[in-house]
This record gives sequence, C-alpha cells and structure tokens, in this order.
Amino acid sequence: MSQFTFKMPDLGEGTVDAEIVAWHTKPGDVVSEDQLIVEVMTDKAAVEVPAPVSGRVVSVTGAPGDKVAVGSPLIVFELTDGAAAPAMAAAPAPTIPAAATPTAPAATAAPATRATATLTASAATAPTPAAVPIARQGRVMTSPANRRRAREAGIDLTTVAGSGPGGRILRADLQTAAPRQAVADAADTTEIKVIGLRRLIAERMSEAKRNIPHFAYVEEVDVTELESLRMHLNHSRPKDSGSLSYLPLVVMALTRVLESFPQCNVLYDAARGVLIRHRAVHVGIATQTPDGLKVPVVRNAQALGLWEVAAEIRRLAERARANKATREELIGSTITVTSLGKLGGIASTPIINAPEVAIIGLNKAVERPVVYQGTVAVRRIMNLSSSFDHRFVDGYDAAAMIQALKERLEHPATIFIPTVKSP
Amino acid sequence: MANMNMIQALNSAMDIMLGRNPAVVLMGEDIGYFGGVFRATEGLQRKYGEHRVIDTPIAEGGIVATAIGMSVNGLRPVAEIQFADYIYPGFDQIVSELARIRYRSAGDFFAPVTIRTPCGGGIRGGQTHSQSPEAIFTHVSGIKVVMPSNPHDAKGLLITSIEDDDPVVFFEPKRLYNGPFDGDPNKPAVPWSTHPKGQVDEGYYKIPLGKADIVRAGADVSIITYGTMVHVAVAAAAAMNVDAEIIDLRSLVPLDVDTIVASVKKTGRCIVAHEATRFSGFGAELLSIVQEECFWMLEAPIQRVAGWDTPYPHAFEWEYFPGQARVKAALKTVMGPA
Repeated sequence: MSQFTFKMPDLGEGTVDAEIVAWHTKPGDVVSEDQLIVEVMTDKAAVEVPAPVSGRVVSVTGAPGDKVAVGSPLIVFELTDGAAAPAMAAAPAPTIPAAATPTAPAATAAPATRATATLTASAATAPTPAAVPIARQGRVMTSPANRRRAREAGIDLTTVAGSGPGGRILRADLQTAAPRQAVADAADTTEIKVIGLRRLIAERMSEAKRNIPHFAYVEEVDVTELESLRMHLNHSRPKDSGSLSYLPLVVMALTRVLESFPQCNVLYDAARGVLIRHRAVHVGIATQTPDGLKVPVVRNAQALGLWEVAAEIRRLAERARANKATREELIGSTITVTSLGKLGGIASTPIINAPEVAIIGLNKAVERPVVYQGTVAVRRIMNLSSSFDHRFVDGYDAAAMIQALKERLEHPATIFIPTVKSP
Repeated sequence: MANMNMIQALNSAMDIMLGRNPAVVLMGEDIGYFGGVFRATEGLQRKYGEHRVIDTPIAEGGIVATAIGMSVNGLRPVAEIQFADYIYPGFDQIVSELARIRYRSAGDFFAPVTIRTPCGGGIRGGQTHSQSPEAIFTHVSGIKVVMPSNPHDAKGLLITSIEDDDPVVFFEPKRLYNGPFDGDPNKPAVPWSTHPKGQVDEGYYKIPLGKADIVRAGADVSIITYGTMVHVAVAAAAAMNVDAEIIDLRSLVPLDVDTIVASVKKTGRCIVAHEATRFSGFGAELLSIVQEECFWMLEAPIQRVAGWDTPYPHAFEWEYFPGQARVKAALKTVMGPA
C-alpha cells in the first residue's frame, strides 16, 4: 500500500497553470487507470485528464474555477495492491497530515468515519457553495384569506416577509409584495460562476478593448457576382463537399489582399515592443460553440484552395463545437474573420483578437435597390465591418486594405488571380 | 301593534293558537290556575278551561311522555318545563321517543309537540335556574331547537313551532322576559317598551324556523349568536366602535347556514357567542360550519365567547356570564393585524 501524488501536467507549450473545470472523482472514489478524473482548461483548450494509475483517491486539490500551477500536486492516490483488503486500505487519519490536504482521508472503515469523510469530501470539492436563497423554515404563517389572495395573485408566500406578530404575513405585506413579485420574477436569480472558457473570453475581451485603440471601418460590398459564383459552385460542387458560404471566399480573397498589406497580418509582442509580420496567413475563424466563443485557426490559408479552406473551416468548427479542438487548433492565428451569417446585421464593431491587429467582420448579404450602371437595380449587398489596431495600422492603410478586399469580392475572378507584385 | 314584553308576546301566541286550533293544549307545572311561574300562561286557563290549559304534577318525564301520547293522537300539546334546568327527567322521553316517532313509524305517526322552557342566567338563579342546555338538544336528530331574543320574534316563532308537525324545544331566555339585557347588571333594567322589537303585532303571524335575523349589518366582523347574547354583542360592538354584523340565529335547528356563510364571506372575521358552556357548545358546530364554508375568506381565527366550563355558579355570576368584556376581548383578538 503506497501513495502516488499526481501533479498538474504540462498540458501544452508554455502552460504555467490550468484551471479546474470539473472534477469527475472525489476523495474516497476508487478509479482505474485511464478513467477520466478531471477536466482542466488551459489558454483555450479544455483538456480531459485521465487517471495515470489505478487506486483510491485520497485527496484532490482545487475546486472548479481554481487555477492550479503546473507541477503542483493535483490528486493523491492510494495504490491498491492486489492483496490490499478494503479495510486495510482505509487510511487512518494520522497518516494524512491534517493541514497537508484540504480533504479527509478516504474511508471504508467505521460508518461514522465514512460519514465524516463524505461530508468533508463534498465540502472539499465544493468549497464555495453557491448562494442559494434559504427557504423559510416550516410553514408560512398567515390567514387563509391571505393564502387565497397570494394564490390568486401568484405570490409565493415563502418569499414574503411577514410584519405581523411572530412574523405572520399580513394583508398589507402581501400588497407591498405583490408588485414587487412581478419584478421579483425577473430578479429570480441564478448564479453562474465565471470560470473556464467564459472567464478566458471575458479576460481577453476586456484586455483587447482596454489596450487597443480600435479603428472601425464599414464598407459595403456588391456581392451579386460573388453570389452567382457561389451558387454555381454549390451546384457543381464535389459530392463530399459541403455547400459554400461566403466565409471561405472572403478568407481566400483576404489571403490575396494581405500580400499587399502585410502590416495587417501582424502579431504585436507588447513585452518586447515588436511587431511580428507573418508571411503565412493563419486565419482565425470566430466560431460560436455551446461553451462560448472559440477561434479555431485555418493554418496557411494562403496555400489552400477554395474547397480546402471551406473544408478546413467546417472541420474546425465541428471540432470546436464538440469541444474536441486541440490547443494547437485554437492558437496561432494572425488575423481573424468573424461572421454571424444570417444574424450579421448591417454593421458591427468586432473586437480585435489580440495580439493580432485586424479583424474582418461580415454582415448579412441582402438584396437592395441600388444605382448600378446608371439605373436602379436589385443588387446583393454585404457590408464588411472591420476593426484595426490604430496604433499599428493607420486609417489610410486600413481603408485601402478593405477597398482592395472589396475589389476582389466584387470581381470574384480576381480572388483566384495571384497578386501582381508591383515592381 | 302593542308594546309587549316577551312574556306577554308568548302569552299572546298561545292565546291565539288556543283560539285558532282546538287541538292545541297547554300543560305544565303551575301553568293553569297560577298562570305560570313567569306568568306566561296567565289567564289562559280561565279563558280556555282546565281541559285546554292543564296543570300537571311535578314530573317532567311524565309531562313530556303525556304530550307525546297526546300528539300522536291528534293534539298539539305545548308543554312548559318550568326551567330548562329541570328538563333532564324528560330527556329520555325527548331523545328516545319524541325525536324518533316520525322515523320509527316510517312517517305513519308524528309528534307535533312544543316544549317551552325558560333558559339562561342573569337572574341570580344559581346552578338550578340558569342553565343553557340547547346544544344537548341540537345533537339529537329529529328535534327542532328555537331560541328567540325579543318579544316580536318570540311570538312569531312560537306560533310557527306550535304549527310545526315535528317536535320543537323552545328555549326562552328568561333574562329577556322583561327587557333587553346588554350584559351589564349594574345598569338599571330596561323595559321592552324602549326596544323596537317590543312592538308586537297583536294578531296571528309567523316567523319561519331556520331563518336568521341580521340584527345589525356590518362589514368588519360577523358575530353569530342567539338569545341573550344578541344584546350583549350589539352593546359590545357599539362600545368598541366595530362595524360588526350581528346575526341572531333564532333557531339552531334548522340552522340558517346561508346567512352565516354570506356574512362571514363578506367580513372575513367571525365570533360565535352563547351563554352556554364552551366545550362541545353550539359554538363548536357554528365554528365548524364557518370553517368548512368560509375557510379561504378568513382573516383571523374564529373566536368563541361562551360560559366557562363549570356549572352555573351561585356566586360570582357576572364573572361567569359572558358579558361585554369577553365579547370585547374576542373583538380585539379577531380584529387584530391580519
């Protein structure tokens, strides 16, 4: 019988700590090797940590939301030798220094001990119980008539403070409670801890918005021809391909345009005060998932064909939504495209995915009457709403870049023509 | 119309019934030659003869039993039990015979007997002349139980009772014979001539059984009562300046449930009051009905005002009698924060 302390592993390059998302085991549980024991969250990726050994869990460190440093003890196992009987496996309290771990020893000994251990264990895994409104003890004291009034008004008497003798609810209490009740339904609150991906999103959004002077630029693009190309391609698409949206077409055009606007395909290293221009275009695709916003990355988009880009976007989106995207698939973008599709609206002000310096937003493509070649015509119009880091991208360059993008999108054939390098 | 006290009103009722219906006979101790211990039958033997107004031996069991025999053979006896405190020797006849004849004979026979009996305290009568045993009779199926609170009602209810084909025990609150009594023994007695219900029609009229009288309409609390306590309740509510609805039941069986329920549903508060002892008193029945019918309208627990659960005392009568102070205390409780 021996103990094994499993330390927080290094879950990715440069990870210094990881946040506990959910425990799948608790002190006292017997787990087998490779069984899921805890979910943790690094920079962006959720990682499921399997048990490295078989044994009984003695203690765990950290509650959901806590960050645990790489290399610090995460979970202590008591290894079950083949001969070890459960009674022997019960660790007597003195073997565990009381202050060493936040939890009690696993217990299979006396029932009293087990009960204590269970209580302590649950306290350890949930050290900060959510503030649940405490229901009034026992029956509400009020008259039958007030009970009827409360019932008819849809008032929950347990939520009404009684001002009468002994806390009895009076009719007047009910009358002041009634209007409050209508609002109280809206104020019927549920507390959601800001942890995991949500905390990460929150931190990054605040940081980007606080540090980066955003320059927003909106331009409308006539996508009538792009639409007819898209329709044509969809009709004749390879069997195993999904249908095309505007997104891969915009990504393709963007990679071409960035060849002429390298100052927009940049990561800013604030610590060193360096702008790192990337020859490769790694396009982050803002993706809504059940957990929140994720930005999987289409790597080397400049080297991919249209169908490859489309397939990669689809593959990454599926993995992100299924929470299967690896850390590598979620980091390293050099510019980001965000599209809300049918919810795209007419304009938006996207927040830059720092340390990038530009983000391109797609608004909804709709048919509008416009003046086209001297007459009013129905054209399909889509707005591009983009933000630039004004510290490093001047307004002139930003506008020129979007105009170049507009040019490509309005003449779709040019998307597929290499940029002519100016001499 | 004439000014009458309750004795005169009852005398008038019996006079009229003796005159209208030859089957009506009066019987009881000292009711004939002497005219009754409270003078309720004064002059009637002289007027209708010894065969119509019959002096009986001091034997209540015999009085009731004889009345039963007369009734099933076609007469309408009105038997007087001199005090309700003396009714118990006749109780077996009332419960075992009188109440059941219609049922036992499957309707072939019926017993139109009226038993008049003075009840209640307030006359320094001690334990043997002050009792209020009405609840005991309400518990016996087959008997109607009536208790008027004023001369006008007394006459109309008695005529109705005599004409009723089933037995009626007719309780007469003796403290009300000569005037309304509000529970304060220190005030000078007030004659019925000062009270509107002392104005009594001299002719024949009936007041139906099972129809309560709303003595005073009010919005804040229903006081359900009967007999002497009607007047006590009126005075107490007035003294407290409470807008009470005061209901004089007049008959306990049959009971005017509709009037009670409508009133309590309106006011949301209820007091039941009677002179009789509290435990298993008629107030318990009233309270049950109110609870069953009006529960969701109640603002406060129903209060009972009643005599203490002891025999009626010889001394300290006004500590025992549920006077205005006890009604006021109940009002204070029931009108508290709700």
